[in-house]
Amino acid sequence: MGSHAMPDPSPLFTDYAPIRGTFDECFDESGQVRPEAERVVRLLEGLGGREFQSRQRLADSTFLRSGITFSVYSDSQGAERIFPFDLIPRIIPAGEWQRVERGLEQRIQALNLFLADVYGDQRILAEKIIPEDMVLGASGYTEQVRGIVPPGGVHVHIGGIDLIRGPDGAFVVLEDNVRTPSGVSYVLENRMMMKKVFPYVFAESHVRGVEEYPLRLRDALNTVGPAPDDEDGTAVLTPGPFNSAYFEHSFLARRMGVPLVEGSDLFVDDDRLYAKTTLGARRIDVLYRRIDDPFLDPEVFRKDSVLGVPGLMRAYAKGNLALANAVGNGVADDKAIYPFVPDMIRFYLSEEPVLGQVPTYVCARDDDLAYVLDHVGELVIKAVNEAGGYGMLIGPQATRRERRDFAERIRNDPRNYIAQPRIELSTCPTWTRKGVGPRRVDLRPYVVTGRQTFVLPGGLTRVALVEGSYVVNSSQGGGSKDTWVLEGSPT
Amino acid sequence: MISRVAGSCFWLNRYMERTESLARMLGVNLSFQLDVSLPNAERWRPLVVVTGQEADFVSKTTEAERDDAEVVQEYLTWSEDNPSSLYSSLRGARENARTIRETVSLEMWEVLNDLWVWMRSSQARRIYDRDRHDFYLQLRNQSLLFHGVAQATMLHEDPFEFMRLGTALERAGQTARLLDVKHHSIGPTDPAFETPAEAAHWLATLRSCSGVEPFLKGGDRAFSGRAVAEFLLFEPAFARSVLHNLRRTRNFLDLVRPPEPTTVGRRSKELVAASLARFEEQDIERVFAEGLHELVTWVVDTTAEICVAVQDDFFDPPPLVEPTRAPAEARPPSPASGAQSQSQTQH
Repeated sequence: MGSHAMPDPSPLFTDYAPIRGTFDECFDESGQVRPEAERVVRLLEGLGGREFQSRQRLADSTFLRSGITFSVYSDSQGAERIFPFDLIPRIIPAGEWQRVERGLEQRIQALNLFLADVYGDQRILAEKIIPEDMVLGASGYTEQVRGIVPPGGVHVHIGGIDLIRGPDGAFVVLEDNVRTPSGVSYVLENRMMMKKVFPYVFAESHVRGVEEYPLRLRDALNTVGPAPDDEDGTAVLTPGPFNSAYFEHSFLARRMGVPLVEGSDLFVDDDRLYAKTTLGARRIDVLYRRIDDPFLDPEVFRKDSVLGVPGLMRAYAKGNLALANAVGNGVADDKAIYPFVPDMIRFYLSEEPVLGQVPTYVCARDDDLAYVLDHVGELVIKAVNEAGGYGMLIGPQATRRERRDFAERIRNDPRNYIAQPRIELSTCPTWTRKGVGPRRVDLRPYVVTGRQTFVLPGGLTRVALVEGSYVVNSSQGGGSKDTWVLEGSPT
Repeated sequence: MISRVAGSCFWLNRYMERTESLARMLGVNLSFQLDVSLPNAERWRPLVVVTGQEADFVSKTTEAERDDAEVVQEYLTWSEDNPSSLYSSLRGARENARTIRETVSLEMWEVLNDLWVWMRSSQARRIYDRDRHDFYLQLRNQSLLFHGVAQATMLHEDPFEFMRLGTALERAGQTARLLDVKHHSIGPTDPAFETPAEAAHWLATLRSCSGVEPFLKGGDRAFSGRAVAEFLLFEPAFARSVLHNLRRTRNFLDLVRPPEPTTVGRRSKELVAASLARFEEQDIERVFAEGLHELVTWVVDTTAEICVAVQDDFFDPPPLVEPTRAPAEARPPSPASGAQSQSQTQH
């Protein structure tokens, strides 16, 4: 005892150097700590490197022991991995977040109106705001749901909009995810871990809470349920324990207090969905499904699907069932539709977009295609139907051969590709084997919509743990951080 | 609750009970076979017989190996191919728990996950090699911890009742199997004449289910094979007696069924009621007159039948909104329970 007065000889941030030409979340270009990060940096520095490291180990072992894993057991051997977690939080000041929140609400609203329109009157196509063939030719466009109005008119109950910050520090949209965005369970678990590992730092920092998410989601789902109150029921539909996101499915069901079901637990009778329970059949009128559209109902989509429920789409078409998210949303988060979202916002809402986005070349357009083929070495090229950092070429880092192969693929199927300039993603101080260093991050906020829209303060900050890497996906060496949206200062 | 989840609760506890029961049998047999002089064939083989795996064991071993204590213990403890081994039972328990993480308490999951991680560690193997008593003891203790943690951390509602239903049915069957070990090693019992080996065996049987002190607490009981059998079959207050567990089965079933009038679970209820009535009519005189082996075989078969009825009624019900509508479709076997076929003693 009494040794706490001794200065720790292993400082954390003293040697920290932001990357030139890149926005750093904690330090400005002159190396000064940003005002919003000042308190946290000071408190962490006060702990010292050795203490920090021991708390990092505590966090890792806690995640493993409680089975908070991202890639679950592929066999009975029980191999499991944790989603690497970095203890230095990413901090967003209140004012900045306000703007982001407004931008996200606006964007989700527009995407929702777009989906209602595309599966309804198709006004936006008639007025040629978006080329018809781009929309109707998108792999996510689902003719089978044309004319179906989902309960409450909501298509995007849960949206995950990926944001990045370029060199100027402004948040811009990189990608929309309005099918089954995942990762929110890590936001909640990361927060729990920070409170456990750094209770003092946390208490001093006035951070907005995230714990209400499952309740907000439950409320939103309940408000869209079409059944009368005495026979309604909500459930989470999972592909099963071998799915890599199973932990999250189970987590959300537990935290919402609703059953977690598999396709074989459900059946359709008289165009209504039921769960088999120990007390007999029980009506389900809202399904938060974590199964992709093609697997939902073998009567309508893939006939070989054993994950779904035969007849599900009949219940949906009759308005007896709300599916979250709605069927057919893939047309809205298609990477080739993304460049048109600002136009959607103007068209449906008569507003200017609050959030900017990354300039995008759509290879389906001849001019864009020609430009992309001429500049493969400078661009980030993405297949429109891939996710998880796959099907992507980062031109500046690719070999000549890789570029040539990719150009060939683009020529063969232009509709399937888009290209963007490489953005110098912002960095955040991150613990590495060589001390604290800058690593690139993105941010996935979660937006929940029922009768109203709720934006979870913060979201999942993903970090590319490999030095120099721009890829934050967990499948490609990414980790995560807790995201601290600070409370506004009382005025 | 969701039928499949109820099934996983039920199987989770059945597998845990198998783990504990077999660990006890193996641990007790270690010292029992030191106390008596029995031919090699009678020392360890009976344990394989009562776990229902004799045919499988014979097909995987040579004549010489079959009576080798090490081979038998290896098979019953570690074999991944033996669905009744400790290893397989523990894996079954953990797999079922993992598919219902939203239902079991976090504390239960941690106990079970830790035990599984330990079982697969080199440390467990070292303890097994060095101090086998301690190895089986640790398994038993962790299993007891699991039950205590469940009691203290689960909501006492349907999922917990289905777990306890699984424990009760498995225990009734396991106690019956245990009573059959002697039949397979020494032969039928003649209550009029007991050899020292038989007396030692009965004592071991009691020890296998922590029954020695409970038995002695009934102060006027003379120690004999008949008294031990009577205790393990009919003592209503003993947590591992057949009668106790059949009655608990009835009680848990009443708790998980909807209020009357209902058709849900009727077949299970009627079967349990009839089995219990038949069992309660028995007394130890009649049991020995008609053969202990015959009665315990009946208990094992009956508990297996009840499990099937519970499975059909609760875990894999036909997709009917109203019970009077169209006939059920053919049902696929439940994956969680597919690995086990411990439903018959071998004769």
